[in-house]
Amino acid sequence: MAEKKERTMTKTPAGGNGNTTTQATTTAAPPSERRQRPRPKISQTPPAPPPPPRLDDYEPIVGRPELDELRFLAQRLRGKTVKMVNSTAVGGGVAEILNRLIPLMNELEVPTKWEVITGGNDFFEVTKGFHNALHGGEYNVTKEVLEIFMMYNEQNRQRMSFDEDLFVIHDPQPVGLIKSRQNTRGKWIWRCHIDLSNPHPDVWGFLRPIVDQYDAAIFSSPSFARQLEIPQYLFFPCIDPLSEKNKDIDESFVQKVCEDFGIDRKRPIITQISRFDRLKDPVGVIQAYKMVKKYVDCQLVLAGGGATDDPEGAVVLQEVMDEAGDDPDIIILNLPPWSALEINALQRASTIIVQKSLKEGFGLTVTEGLWKGKPVVGGAVGGIPTQIVHKLTGVLVHSVEGCAYQIRYLLTHPEFAAELGRNGKEHVKENFLMTSNVKRWLLLYQIMLGMTQPMDPQAK
Amino acid sequence: MATTTLPKPARRWARAPFYFNTASHLLRIGRQRADNLSQLLEGLRTCPEDSIFQHTFRTLAEHHFIREGFSNDFAHFAFAACNEVGLAERLASVDVREYTSLEALRNRIVGIVDEYLKKNPRSGERAALEPFYFCASDTVVIPTTAVARNLEEFASCLENISVHSIHYHFIEARLRLKLNSNDFSVWLDEELGLGTLADRLNRIDIYTSTLNDVRRTIQSIIRGAL
Repeated sequence: MAEKKERTMTKTPAGGNGNTTTQATTTAAPPSERRQRPRPKISQTPPAPPPPPRLDDYEPIVGRPELDELRFLAQRLRGKTVKMVNSTAVGGGVAEILNRLIPLMNELEVPTKWEVITGGNDFFEVTKGFHNALHGGEYNVTKEVLEIFMMYNEQNRQRMSFDEDLFVIHDPQPVGLIKSRQNTRGKWIWRCHIDLSNPHPDVWGFLRPIVDQYDAAIFSSPSFARQLEIPQYLFFPCIDPLSEKNKDIDESFVQKVCEDFGIDRKRPIITQISRFDRLKDPVGVIQAYKMVKKYVDCQLVLAGGGATDDPEGAVVLQEVMDEAGDDPDIIILNLPPWSALEINALQRASTIIVQKSLKEGFGLTVTEGLWKGKPVVGGAVGGIPTQIVHKLTGVLVHSVEGCAYQIRYLLTHPEFAAELGRNGKEHVKENFLMTSNVKRWLLLYQIMLGMTQPMDPQAK
Repeated sequence: MATTTLPKPARRWARAPFYFNTASHLLRIGRQRADNLSQLLEGLRTCPEDSIFQHTFRTLAEHHFIREGFSNDFAHFAFAACNEVGLAERLASVDVREYTSLEALRNRIVGIVDEYLKKNPRSGERAALEPFYFCASDTVVIPTTAVARNLEEFASCLENISVHSIHYHFIEARLRLKLNSNDFSVWLDEELGLGTLADRLNRIDIYTSTLNDVRRTIQSIIRGAL
C-alpha cells in the first residue's frame, strides 16, 4: 500500500518576541533514511510599514541625471493640480502604486490629491462582476446592474469636487465620474490596469461610450487595449526598488530566511513566487523540477499566498502538495500578505526564478526577479514577453518540457545565466521602475495640458 | 612667410558651446496590429513615421544595455513570433545610422519584407505566435545643465550625462541633421576643427556595444586627443 500522508498547518510560538509562526508539518511514515520536509517558520505578525521614500533616495539606483529630468519636467507643471480616483485605499496593486506615486508627485510640487470612491456591497458586487466579465468571464448585464453602477458613480460625483487641472480615474469602478467633465476646466485620463483583450461584449458595450468621453486612456500593454476614439498611451506597471519587496537587504537576513524555511543554500534553488492559482501552473513547475532533478541536485521553492482565505487557493495548494509528494527538496510556503521582506530574501537566494504562468497580467513577480539580477524562466503569456526578450533578458517557455530544459541549461551554463540576469536588471531599470512611471505621468500631463508639443524627431 | 598653427586640441575653445540635451518619450498605442508577416508589411507601408521611429531608433534606446542580438522590433518579431530567421537577420542588419529620413528607413524595411515574402509566399499568411502592435512615441526634449566649451569640458560632461542624452545626440541626431553624422561629431568638427576625431566617433559600432560602451569609447577617443 502506498504511503499515506497527512499534512496540516499548525501555529506554534516562535521565540520570546510574542510572534507566532506557522509550520507546515508532514506526518507520514517515511523510510528512516529519508529526509523530512523542512518545517518553515512563518511570521504571523505584520511589521510596521516603513515611511515612503524621498526622491533623493532613488539617486543611487537611477542616477542623478534621471532625477534631474524628473525635476525639470515637474518644474514646467508647477501650479497645476491633479486628482486621482480609485476604488480602494489599501490592498491591490493600484493602491500599492498610488501609495508610492502620490508622495513623489507632491514632493515634485505637482500637488496630487487621491480620493477613493465609496459604495455599498451591491456596488462592489457589480464592479467585481464587471471585473471578471472584462477578463472574459460570464456576466448577466441587467438594467438593475447598470443602474446600481451609475447610481453609486453619481453619488460619488455629487460628493466630490472637481477643481483640479487633471483628473486620473483608475479602472472601471469610478469611470462614470467623467460626467463632471462639462463643468470642469481639466483634462480627464482613464487609467485601465486590467486586461481588456477579451471583454464581455455587453459590459464593454456599456463602458466604451463612457470611456470615449475621456481625453486619453492608458493601458499596461498594447495587447490589453481596445480600439477607442481617444489617444491611448502605454504605461508599463512598475516596481518600487525601495519597497520591502525589492530593496537591498543584508545577506545575513537572506541566510536567516533560508534557515527558517529549511532551504539549503549550498544547492541550486529554483523559485516560483505566486499565489496558489492554476493559472500560475504550480503543478507544472513541480513537473518541470522533477525532470531537472534527474540531472541536477536542486531544490524547488513554491511560495505564495491566497490559500488561507480563498477556497480555490486551498484546493490548488492541496494539488500542489499532492504533486510534490514526499520530496523534501520541494519547499511549499503559504505566506501571509506581510511577507514582502521574506519574498525579497527568497528571490535573492534563488539560482533561477520561474514564472510559468498559463495566463498572466503583466507579471510583476517577473519584474521583481529580473530586478534582483536573476535569470528568469517565464511563460510566454500576458506581459511576460514584454519583460523577457528571449535569451537576452531571460528565457520564454511554452511547456513543462521547455521549462525543464531551460532550467537545466541555465543551471549548467552559469555565465549565460548571469548575463541574462544582468541584462534583465538593466531592462527593469530602464523601463519598469517607479521613477520611469513618474516620468511617464509628468510627460502625459504636459502633453494633455498642451504645455509642450511632442517633438518631430526629424525637425531641426 | 608667416604660418599659423592651430592650438593643441585641449586648448581650443568653441565659439558656440555644446549644450547637452536629453529626450523623454511617452509611448502611444497605435491603431494597427499585425498577426502575420503580410499584415506587418501592410502596416509598415501605412503606419505613421513616428511608428517607424519608435520601432527602430527608440527601441534601440530602450534596449541599450544589450550588446548583441537586438536591433529593432521588426527583426525581433520576425525571429521570435514568426520564426523566420532569414528575414530576421536581414531586418536586424538595417543600421539606422545609414538613414537621415524615416521615409528612407521605412522604404528599406518594406523592401526587405516585400522581397522576402515574394520568395517565401507561404510565410506571409502563417499566424505569428504573438501579434505585432504598432506603437509610436511622443518625444519631449529636455535641456540638461551640462555645457562644454572645450574638449576637456566635453569629456567631463560625457561622464555625467545619461545614456538617453547620448542616444539623443549620437543616434537620433541624424534625423535632425539630415547628415550621416551626429551632434558630437558636427560640433567637434565645426567648433574645434577636429575633423579626424569627429570621424572616429562616427565610426563607433552601436550594434555591438551598449550605450554605456559607446560612452566609454567616445571618452577613450577624446582622452587620447587631450
